[in-house]
Amino acid sequence: MSQPIELIRNFCIIAHVDHGKSTLADRILLATGAISEREFREQFLDDLELERQRGITIKARAVTLHWDYQGQRYELNLIDTPGHVDFHYEVSRSLACCEGALLLVDAFQGVEAQTVANTYAALEQDLTIIPVINKIDLKHARVEEVLQEVEQSLGLDPSEAILCSAKTGQGVSEVLQAVVERIPPPQGDPQAALQAMIFDSHYDTYRGAITYVRVVNGRIRRRQRVRLLKAGTVHEVQELGCFTPAPTPKEELHAGQVGYLICNIKSLSEVHIGDTVSTADAGPELALPGYQPPKRMVYCGLYPADGEDYQELRDALERLSINDPSFEFVPETSDALGFGFRCGFLGLLHMEIIQQRLEQEAQLDLVQTAPTVTYEVLTRDGRVHRITNPQQMPDPGQIQEVRQPMVRVSFVLPAEYIGPIMKLCTQRRGRFVRTEYLSPTRAIVVVDMPLAEVIYDLYDRLKSITHGYGTMDYELLGYEPADLVKLDILVGGKRVDALSVICHREDAYRRGKAIVGKLKQEIDRHLFDVVIQAAIGSRVIARETIPAIRKNVTAKCYGGDITRKRKLWAKQREGKKRMKSIGQVDIPQRAFLAVLDAGAQKRK
Amino acid sequence: MSRLAPSNPCQDRTFGAQGAVVPQEPLPLAQGRADALYVHVPFCDHRCGYCNFAVWVGSKELEPALNRAWEQEARWTLPGRLTTVYFGGGTPSRLSLPAMERLLKLVHQHFDLVPECEWTVEANPQDVTPQWLELLREHGVTRISLGAQSFLPQKLQALDRRHQVEHIWRAVELVQQAGLVLSLDLIFAAPGESLAQWVQDLHCAIRTGAEHFSVYGLTIERGTRFWSLRRRGLLQEVPEELQAQMYETTLDHLAQAGWQHYEVSNFARPGFQCQHNLKYWHAKDYHAWGPGAARHYQGIRQTNHPSTTTYLKRVLGGRSPVWHSERLSWETRRREALVLGLRTTAGVHPEEFAARWGATPQELAPQALENFLRQGLLTWHQGRLRLTRRGLLVSDSIWGELLDEEG
Repeated sequence: MSQPIELIRNFCIIAHVDHGKSTLADRILLATGAISEREFREQFLDDLELERQRGITIKARAVTLHWDYQGQRYELNLIDTPGHVDFHYEVSRSLACCEGALLLVDAFQGVEAQTVANTYAALEQDLTIIPVINKIDLKHARVEEVLQEVEQSLGLDPSEAILCSAKTGQGVSEVLQAVVERIPPPQGDPQAALQAMIFDSHYDTYRGAITYVRVVNGRIRRRQRVRLLKAGTVHEVQELGCFTPAPTPKEELHAGQVGYLICNIKSLSEVHIGDTVSTADAGPELALPGYQPPKRMVYCGLYPADGEDYQELRDALERLSINDPSFEFVPETSDALGFGFRCGFLGLLHMEIIQQRLEQEAQLDLVQTAPTVTYEVLTRDGRVHRITNPQQMPDPGQIQEVRQPMVRVSFVLPAEYIGPIMKLCTQRRGRFVRTEYLSPTRAIVVVDMPLAEVIYDLYDRLKSITHGYGTMDYELLGYEPADLVKLDILVGGKRVDALSVICHREDAYRRGKAIVGKLKQEIDRHLFDVVIQAAIGSRVIARETIPAIRKNVTAKCYGGDITRKRKLWAKQREGKKRMKSIGQVDIPQRAFLAVLDAGAQKRK
Repeated sequence: MSRLAPSNPCQDRTFGAQGAVVPQEPLPLAQGRADALYVHVPFCDHRCGYCNFAVWVGSKELEPALNRAWEQEARWTLPGRLTTVYFGGGTPSRLSLPAMERLLKLVHQHFDLVPECEWTVEANPQDVTPQWLELLREHGVTRISLGAQSFLPQKLQALDRRHQVEHIWRAVELVQQAGLVLSLDLIFAAPGESLAQWVQDLHCAIRTGAEHFSVYGLTIERGTRFWSLRRRGLLQEVPEELQAQMYETTLDHLAQAGWQHYEVSNFARPGFQCQHNLKYWHAKDYHAWGPGAARHYQGIRQTNHPSTTTYLKRVLGGRSPVWHSERLSWETRRREALVLGLRTTAGVHPEEFAARWGATPQELAPQALENFLRQGLLTWHQGRLRLTRRGLLVSDSIWGELLDEEG
């Protein structure tokens, strides 16, 4: 028996981090009988734990629910979306699979940067938006003000908002009612040629790639041969079904429905988010619009602290990329750090997630170089080069123009911090776009600035200036020419490739001075003077000297001292061996992050 | 048994040549032949702020037990001929005359002493009396090492020492009257000390005419009161540059006055180098008794428990007092020998070294030697490899490379 299309509702929940998205989702699962009261309690705890650990929902999920309302049995597909800007494209694909969105706003925190960004993304996809004010049971809930913020900043009608508490369950049935009544059923022709959009995927060790799809037109059956139009590959559907929330195999999915496919695909790199699933004989004209390859905007080098762990690091990176095709890595060699990998990420948060997983899962001691954005360099021969590593920067004589990625940053913050934030943005070459007041005490400040400045330490500075009350989000605007230079660091007269950075010419002096100052603290004294310099090309712009050790001698070395002293000397030698040697100078691993730390607190 | 089984052919050969004896029954101490004996006397009248040695502050109730413990250790030690004996501490001069006499006798009962045997006893200046010196002389002691530390009252106080400058002068006179060789311990870089003060101090020391000086820069070690004072910011260490100047001044002034610098911290009139201490630096073998004392036989090094009570409990209970025991590999032994040899200003003669250790220093650590020679930290002098003055000043930064097999 197939579900009539007019009784299907596809929707998602969009919210800022910690505004209660997972709890509301679980509450909806409970209200529709998908999970038991006991499971709700357990999941509630699990998700809190997960949110506490990660602060965000990393992987989208899609759950199919059934809800009886006014004598009809509705199929509700709740599509979870990643909450962070780094996954902007993935979010947009998830949204494209929905007809409506629940906009969840914390009754105390109010509208935050991601609330705004996600709402705009949902409006772009023409979704019906239902504002939901959550946590109204909180003692400090300020429902009226938050409703005002919703109206002011998002242009939504506050009278349409539903008040609820996902924690207590209050208002949850009203939410479900609104989903059925206000969100339109999907369009689509079950008789037309098959078109299904891939909006997520994950990797299962036993089954291979699990592909999440929304069927836009036509129908898809078990044992059918299908083609992934972008990848150009043909597969047989071994199993399809939906998550209820346990995987439930079905015979077919038809237009308007959401579910999963298992096609014996061995690697997620063949499954592109935004790709179209169609019949095996389908031509490219059936491809759904909006496909984009992942845009990796942030790169850094990852090196094993011990060169012997190279293979282990490679294996670990491979395991991670199996589950996350948007992360890429290629081997790279550094004079200073030896053999390692250049790794590309969607953004800064994505980078942190990958690093955290590497540390947790592989337990490798890693040296990370300072992250850099992807630059475009136009050379005099008319070619455009993508630069993901300062080392790739062509010779200054060949460069016609250097372009850097610009982003539009939205800060949501208490109004009293507008001044300090504007000052910070000015220092960071920001261009003011606009300020809007959400309420008399809270405002949105929108500034365009180089992505490089954002990944440097902007988030930390924002948190420190606003005492933790400010939030930010950004979207990519595109590339712009800028007066950028490669700043090299020389230790003992030798250029240390892993320490080079690209920065604005006007910042070069300040950055160079900060980096050599930091390195002076990090590098131990040697038996000779160690000179540290920052240079643009051959011009030295900053310099520090670490004076040689003057006196280091054990006074007493008699019978009882010898063992202890020998062990001490041998231990000091071992410590030096773990450092990276440039010429005769031993550089500790933490010094390679000096370019990041210089003038900034390391982001925690 | 297995503890003493030779682990490689080279070591085996040496064992045979020098005649270490593998005992039939496992004994509480490693067994070996040696011509040197060190006895640690743990008593002190108080613990100085910079001291982390094995000492027992307070009553002398433990003296009989200690005498019995030394006697027990003697029974576990192979007898033989000694050319050097050294009583260190702690402060051996804190022993009562009867206890000291019993210990002196023990040495004679257990060992044969060659006629020219060098026998040193350390002493606090305030403990030195004619009777005490007479007792030592009667039993063959030849040398007194006096813990003078400084001739400046203020500095003695800063160093937390209990004796007065007058005590030093009196002790010096008594030792010299008794016809014993005199060595003085001196400390520089005491908290707040200036270069001028150190020079003044050094010249007082020179005026004593002592045959030997051991001169130590104050090092603040973990486990001392100075360490915790410094951590709390209550004690300022002398800046490194000034410490270096003080050390170099010492080298210059003593050399000029006729004392040869023969090891990092040791100076002697010709013919008065401490033969016992040279054995440590020449990687020779030595017996040792007493808490915290270390013995060495052919690469086996054992250190007794540093706690006096634990040491006594174990030895008097018939159990081993050994706290740490290590068996050095041949490779470690010869690298250690190279480092210790280079701490002497005579340095290392490559062929002599190779004859004993099967490789020249150049073969042992080619890369490190080349670097240090190029950097002017090591040099060749009359066919011997030795530290330059600059190398001497930073020698602790050198040893690690020589101990490393990649060196």
